[in-house]
Parts: sequence; C-alpha cells; structure tokens
Amino acid sequence: MNPFAYTSPKSTGEASSLATSKDHSLPVLKSGGMDLLDRMKEGLDTPGLVIDLTRIDDPALDRIEAGRIGARATLAAVSDDEAIRESAPMIAQACGSAATPQVRNVASVAGNLLQETRCWYWRMERFDCVRKGGEGCPAREGEHRFHALFPEGPCLMVHPSNLAPALLLLDGSVDVVGGPRTSIPMADFQPDPARDWRSTSVLAPGEVVTAIRFDPAPNSGFVALKQKQSFDWPMVSGYAVLDLDGDVIRSARTCAGAVAPRPRLLPAVDAALAGVSIRDDAAIRKACDAATEGAAPLPGTIYKKTLLPVAIRRAVMAAANPGGDA
Amino acid sequence: MSGSNPDHRTINAGQSLADDATRLDGLAKATGAARYSRDHLREDMQWVRLIRCPWGKATLESLDRDAALAVPGVTEVVISGDAGDYDGDSIGYLVAESRRALERGLDALDARWARAECKTSIFDDARVRAPIGETEGDAADAIEASDFTFEATYSTPVQTHSSLETHGMMIEPDGEGATVHASTQGTFLVADQIGRFLGKRRSRIVVDCEYIGGGFGSKFQIGKEGAAAGLAAKRSGGPVYSFCDRREEHLDTGNRPSLLCKVKLGHDADGTIRGARIETFGGTGVSRRGGGARIPSGRFDLGEIDGRNHQDVQFNAGGPRAMRAPGCPQGAFVEELMLDEIAHRCGIDPLALRRRLDDSERRGAMYDVAARLIGWSERPDTGSQDGPMRTGYGIATCDWGKGRAPAKIEVVVHPDGHLEVRTGTQDVGTGQRTAMGAVVAERIGVPLANVSVAIGNSRLPSGPASGGSVCTPSTAPAAMAAADLARDRILADVAERDGLDPTTLRIDDGVVKSGDRSIVRWEDACKRLAEPISVMGEFDGRPNAYWGDGSSEGVQAARVEVDCETGQVFVREVVAIQSCGLPLVRKPAESQIIGGVIQGASYALFEEQILDPATGAVLNANFENYKVLGAKDCPKIIPVLWRDGQTGARALGEPPVIPTAAAIANAVFNAIGRPVRDLPLRPDRVLAALAEPVPERIATATTTKTEVRA
Repeated sequence: MNPFAYTSPKSTGEASSLATSKDHSLPVLKSGGMDLLDRMKEGLDTPGLVIDLTRIDDPALDRIEAGRIGARATLAAVSDDEAIRESAPMIAQACGSAATPQVRNVASVAGNLLQETRCWYWRMERFDCVRKGGEGCPAREGEHRFHALFPEGPCLMVHPSNLAPALLLLDGSVDVVGGPRTSIPMADFQPDPARDWRSTSVLAPGEVVTAIRFDPAPNSGFVALKQKQSFDWPMVSGYAVLDLDGDVIRSARTCAGAVAPRPRLLPAVDAALAGVSIRDDAAIRKACDAATEGAAPLPGTIYKKTLLPVAIRRAVMAAANPGGDA
Repeated sequence: MSGSNPDHRTINAGQSLADDATRLDGLAKATGAARYSRDHLREDMQWVRLIRCPWGKATLESLDRDAALAVPGVTEVVISGDAGDYDGDSIGYLVAESRRALERGLDALDARWARAECKTSIFDDARVRAPIGETEGDAADAIEASDFTFEATYSTPVQTHSSLETHGMMIEPDGEGATVHASTQGTFLVADQIGRFLGKRRSRIVVDCEYIGGGFGSKFQIGKEGAAAGLAAKRSGGPVYSFCDRREEHLDTGNRPSLLCKVKLGHDADGTIRGARIETFGGTGVSRRGGGARIPSGRFDLGEIDGRNHQDVQFNAGGPRAMRAPGCPQGAFVEELMLDEIAHRCGIDPLALRRRLDDSERRGAMYDVAARLIGWSERPDTGSQDGPMRTGYGIATCDWGKGRAPAKIEVVVHPDGHLEVRTGTQDVGTGQRTAMGAVVAERIGVPLANVSVAIGNSRLPSGPASGGSVCTPSTAPAAMAAADLARDRILADVAERDGLDPTTLRIDDGVVKSGDRSIVRWEDACKRLAEPISVMGEFDGRPNAYWGDGSSEGVQAARVEVDCETGQVFVREVVAIQSCGLPLVRKPAESQIIGGVIQGASYALFEEQILDPATGAVLNANFENYKVLGAKDCPKIIPVLWRDGQTGARALGEPPVIPTAAAIANAVFNAIGRPVRDLPLRPDRVLAALAEPVPERIATATTTKTEVRA
C-alpha cells in the first residue's frame, strides 16, 4: 500500500473541497472503507489523500426513515430498521444479505452503491483489461463463471451492489452535495456501460453522496442465489415490486442483479406478470421465464440462465408475501 | 426428517478419560491472550518477503536491484533465480527494517516478467484425456466373468490448507544461539532444518510454538519463507520476521492435490464386485510426486484389482504437501460414490451393499448406529423424488493406521502440590495441552486444576511431530508413565513417614487413602518435599497390552437437501461415528470430529483452486473467492465417540475428514437420482447432472451380459 495523507473533515462541504484540492493526487472519500482498503492493498487505488467521512458531525448522514436513508447508515442498521422492513422490505433484505455481520456493521449504503466490481481479473493488479483503460477482457476466454449473462460493452463484469437494483426499481435517487446538482436519479447514477465501461458512477470529483431516496413499496422482495450462504456475492439475484389487487398482480416491476454490468430491468417479465394471480404458479413461471430474453451466456455462465427465472419468481413470491418465508 | 436428533453430549457421556474437562487454553485462545508465533513482534526486527513470479510460467526480463536497495530501510536484496514455473514461485527475497520499507522496496525492484506458455490443468496432459487402459492380470478375467461392467470417471480439485495463521517464523538470534518462534507442526523438525540457514549448531537453537493457527500437514518443513528468514537472520545477527501473506499462503505452502480417477469394474446383478481396473492421476503442480490417492481403500471387497496405475501429472502451479489424511478423502469420494452407483444399478440399499463388502465388525456395528441417528429408514429411493427441494441420505466410511512414535514427558511435582507437565511436542489444535494434563491428573488422582502443561518448545522433552495422527497415541503413554512415577514417589514418602504399606495406598480426588481411610491431602503430602521432584515418563513407540495395536475406524452419514431449481446443495446433518481407542478428553476429541466434518463438507461443496487458463495466475488466492464453508453453511454435526471397551489412545486427528465429502456426494446422488462425479458439488454441476437421465437400473432377473457405460 502506498503512503497517503489522511484527513477527517467536519462537514460534507469541507469533504467536498478537500476532494477537489490540488494539494494531493487522487483524493478519495471513505466511509466504512471496506472496499477501499482491499483496493488500496492490491494497488488498484493509490490515493494521495483519504478523506474520512466518519467524523462528520451530521446525524442526517446516519438517519434512516421511510423513503430516505443517510449515506453513512450501515447495512446492518438498514436491515434491522423496522420502518424500512415495513415500507420497503426489499431494501432491508438486500442490505441484510450482503457479506457478513462484521462487514454489514461497518459498510455504508453509499459505499455499497459505489463498490467496485468483484471481477477477479479486475481485482488483480497484474491483469490489464478494458475497464482499467487497457486492452481486452481476460475473462472472456478465461474463468468467467461469476461474470455477465447479459454483457453490455467490452467489459464482462457484473454490478456488485445488492442495493442498486432495489433503488432502481423504487424510482430511487441519490442526494449529493458539492456540485451543481442536488440529486441524481438512480437510473442515471451509472453511465451506460456500452459507452463508458470504466466508471462506477457519474459522480464528479467533489460530489459527496449524502442520502438515498426511494418510493415506499410494502410489496417488494429480494432473493439472492448464492453458492455459499455465509459471505458470498450472489450468482444471480432477483428483485420484484408488486402492485396487488387482492391476489392479482395489477402491475409488477422486476430487476436482476449479478447478471449484467448494471442492474437489469426486465420489462418483458413485468408485462407478462400484469393481470396474473399470485396463486397461478404456472403463469408466474411462464412470465418469469421471459427474464432470460436477450441472454448471451458465455460457456461458464450458462447456468445463470437457469438460475435467473428462479430468482425472479422467488422475488415475486417474496414481494407477494412480505414478512413471510422468503 | 432425521431420526431421534440426539444430543451428542448424552451419547458421549462416560466414554472418555476426562468427560468434563475444558481446554486448559480455551480462555487464552478466545480472549486473544494466547501468543501465536505470528504474534512475536519486535520494534527492531527485520521483515522478509520473497520475490515471486506472478504467472504460471515466466522469465525475469529485468529488475532494479539498486533502486530497491536505495529505498530507505531496505537492507538486503537477494536474487537467486531468473525464472518462475508457477504463480508464487520465488527467485529471491528482500529484507527491510519495516513492512512499509519492504513494500516500497518490492515496488522499486520493479521486476518485469516475460510470460510463457503454461499448463494449467491436468487435462492438458494426453494421458489424462485418454480412455481407460486395457485391464491386466486376474482383474481382466474377473471383469470378463462378471454379469455387468461399469465405467466412470471421477475428479476432485486442488484444496489449499488455508491456515488462518500463515506459514512463517520469527527468529531472535542471541550470540551463538537463537530462538525461533515458528508456526509449525514439528518443533524438533524446525530445529533440525533451520540450523544450516542460520549457521548455528542445533544444540543452540530453541524452537518455540506455544500455539498454532492451523496446521493440516503443510507445516513440517520450514519452507522458502523460513529458509530466507534463517539466511537474513544469519546476515544481520538481529531479529527477523518472515510470514506469508494471505495470497502467498494459498500459492506456495502446499495443498491437497487434485485427482482424476478412471474406473472400470465388473459386477453381478446382486452387487457382488468381481474385479476392477482403477487408474489414478494426481495433479501435483510442479512437483514430481505426492499426488497419490488411497483407492481402493481396502475397506471393501472389490474382487481382483488391477490398481497399480497411478501417475502424477505436472502443471504450472504450486506443489502438494501432506494434507489431513493425504490421498484419503479423494479416494473415499471415488470409491464410496462408485459403490452407491453400483447399488443403485442393482436395486440394493447402499448400506446393505456395504455390510456385504465390508468385513469390519466394528464398522458393522457403526452402520447400525449411523443409520438410526441419521434416520436412514426415511431415505427415499434414489431418483424417486420430484419437486424443487429434494432430500438425500448418504453414508461413507474411513479407517486410519496405528502409527506411534517414541516420546518422553516430564512431570515436576512442586512442594505446593502443583504438577507441571512438560513436553516439547506442539499442539496442532487437537488439545494436546489439555490431553496431557488430563492424563496426568486422572492417573495420579488429583483435580485438573492442580496441573499446568508446558508444550511446544524444543528445550522440553522430545516427542513426535503432529503428523499421521500419532501425537496423542505416542505422548499419552509417556504422560501416563510419568504420572505413575510421580504418584509412586509421593505415595512411597507417605508410606514411609506414616509406616504404611505403599501398595495399599491410592489417591482419590486429591486425597491419599488407604482403603476407605483418608491419610493425607495431596497438597500436604507434597509439602513434605524439600524441593520439587522431577520424573521422566517414556514410551518406546511399540504396541503393548494396554495401548493396543488397532486402527481407528469410522462411519459417517449425511442428510442433504438439494434445490433442484438452483443446484444448491444444503448439508443439513452429519452423523460422524469415530473410534479412537480411549478418548482422552471428551470436548477436544469431539472437536476433532466436528472439525473434520466441517473441513470435509467445505471440500465437498466449495473449495477449489482456480487458475487462469491463459496465464496460470491463481484467481482465487483469497478468502473471497477461495470459498470456505461458513456458519450458515454448516450442518448440524453429531460426533459420536466409539469406544467399545478399547483402552489405548489411537488416531483421531485425520480419519474424520475422510468420509464426509463421500457421504455428502452419495446423499446428493440419492436426492437427485444422478451422480455428480466431480468435486466440488457446485450449483452448475448439479444442474448439469439434473439435465441427464436417471441412470438405468439392472433388473435383478437379468442374467444376460450387458455393457452399460455410465
């Protein structure tokens, strides 16, 4: 790890100024620091200045309420929060499924959104690739069992955040300070990976995330299919938000995680679910099978094509029975 | 659901020498007070790091030794090679005054490598891809004479040791001598090995390993990290610290080699196996040996065997070292799954088939208990279930040899009644400290609280390295002999002073008694000593009437659920029955069984070293991608200590890891109706197996010879 200067500003405004200061190369913001530490140890990030946001005395950064979560709130706090569990169970479930209890006690919601890809080639400094600004993608001919089922652009990564697809489905947005805008819709938070495959977000230097906002969705559900049940990233994850009229799905919105470089909305599934009864297992299955439309599996990701409709269907059922056995 | 779901504490009550003793070092380990070798840090020590090749095969194009030496704090750069044959291979080392300087020095060194073509899989070898060869000898006739033939290929991955405390040592030279704090399974072996690097006589070297954070067979040798530490300490004359980091630990400290096994066997419709050809290929990385697998195990009658067909296959990765029951879990996986496939073809209960082919009386009795505890009667017919979640039951077996080695143990009796037990043998995690204390306390007749135990130091009396599960069987007799000498000495004093016949005296719960009459408390008897007395117990390593000459045997049964929509395998319960002669202390004995099951289940479901096929770089040399079983993946484990009247202590460390993966693979076969012949049992593999038809059954009435290729 390279030497770096460390500072702990007292306000987000000060943090923003520091982040654009010319006194240090590559200043970086840190809250939980879970991912940053790994990247620094591997030499992927070489910040000259680490700006620690954990000393900022602003309770709003940690506050959790229906529809709004402070950027610094931990994944553990979100998953345990009664208001979130009732108003948007999918958010609580997604946060509660990530990593381990130890990590969830430290990792922040903003850090989860801004987490870098888990691609093992990208994560090893010795490999060159398009996402690092170099050539090619070693995963394409290499070991890619955890890579994309729906590649977009030249990088085969999958988006690593459990939270991002949930926010996207709930018409979420990200509050920011330190720039010309105060809010970024979740749909615009990440650049189109077919055009910009290097950036994790559209945040400009000096922009600091202060909160996430989202619509309530008591009928929402999340399911992660993981190889290991302790400390693993999903092979495939499913997200669903339902508008129910009794047992009948008036409208549905679904999304898949861990299959593409960004959360993948599934409009074909949504259309097929409209008007279907949640008790009509055959119709639900048929609708969820549409999730694989457009899939372009690599030899090692064919199994994800089997998993995807299952994850979506189980998320739909979880959304239909919030608080039930997911 | 499962059978009676018993509490193992009830089952095991009264089976061991010390039923209620808790680990003497449990609190120290739980609180962090225990000082592991890696915890020996000094402000003035030098840090050592090997310079390693980052690719499967590469030559060094350039490096800047002067730039590295110019980094403040870098004291030495040693380059001894210019090519690497695997990711993690080393060409020298760097020494620096701080970890920071070490890392900056490595950066400044700026080693540039030219990558070359490399082999990353045993499938790169034509011998492995070839079909099974012609059967030779009597086995050929036996297969020819049998009603049916069965052919299949099985494989297991490279499993790394993944020790939480990585390999390494801290050396403190002191004039002519040195103290070596090594993370080792063999205090005396390190003393033998490090001297030539340190340039010191063996008699002046003290090796210390009070606690070890993981040792499964890879910590007998000092390794390159130890050799470099020795050389650096010799040069500087000061303290040196050299421990692998997490990545290095996965790359270059040994592993359980991969296995590919081709089987052709002949059997009759009733399940009788007449003969088999077995070909094995061990994936040994760059090593030329060490890839053997124990198959056939000898536990089952497989008829005439054409089985001397082993070849080690090289590729560009770090080589193997012994790992907990070397060769056995992979052999058991193949043999036991193969038996279940035969049982299925013949329409026989796999447990019934085992009873027929296995002539061990002890395992025969264990089969009954395992079946009862796991609920075998509820086992569904293989392939009979539909629906997304399917339950399966599987059973598998193990045995382990009767190795013992000479050992000495010293007992010091202090005038305040305290007993000090001293043995140089280390505790590899088995509970050596507690076991030795318990043997002495029980044998003398005083509470364990009277005893302290010093272990893991080469200045203490000699004993074996922790390998082959010989440690406890070797040191327990020595501890018992020492305890007898100490007790007899004190009783002789009491008899002389009180005019009693020493043969009538005994010690019961800390009180010297003659018949029912209390004579004197242990502490008061010891007060009469003018100074501490020391006695040495010795064991010659040979079997005798008390310590016996038998092997350890075991049977494990697993219950799994398989999500057939996702291919996920959930191990719900494992019953692990294990004989080990006389279990010394119940808790650490159970803990050995539980640990073996956990490691075996992790091997069954998750663990595998993954190489990049183009470059040979190891992609998962960390605990994110090298997946190890976690709390939520852990089954309910019921360890059953099986004593059946045996006296001497026998092997317990290794055997429990042997059958677990096999039992789980059999349970998965039972649940989904198709065998998954490759470990680990990943979701993609389970889904692929589910896409295959259920293997056909041979009607028991059939007598015509049929060729069925599996």
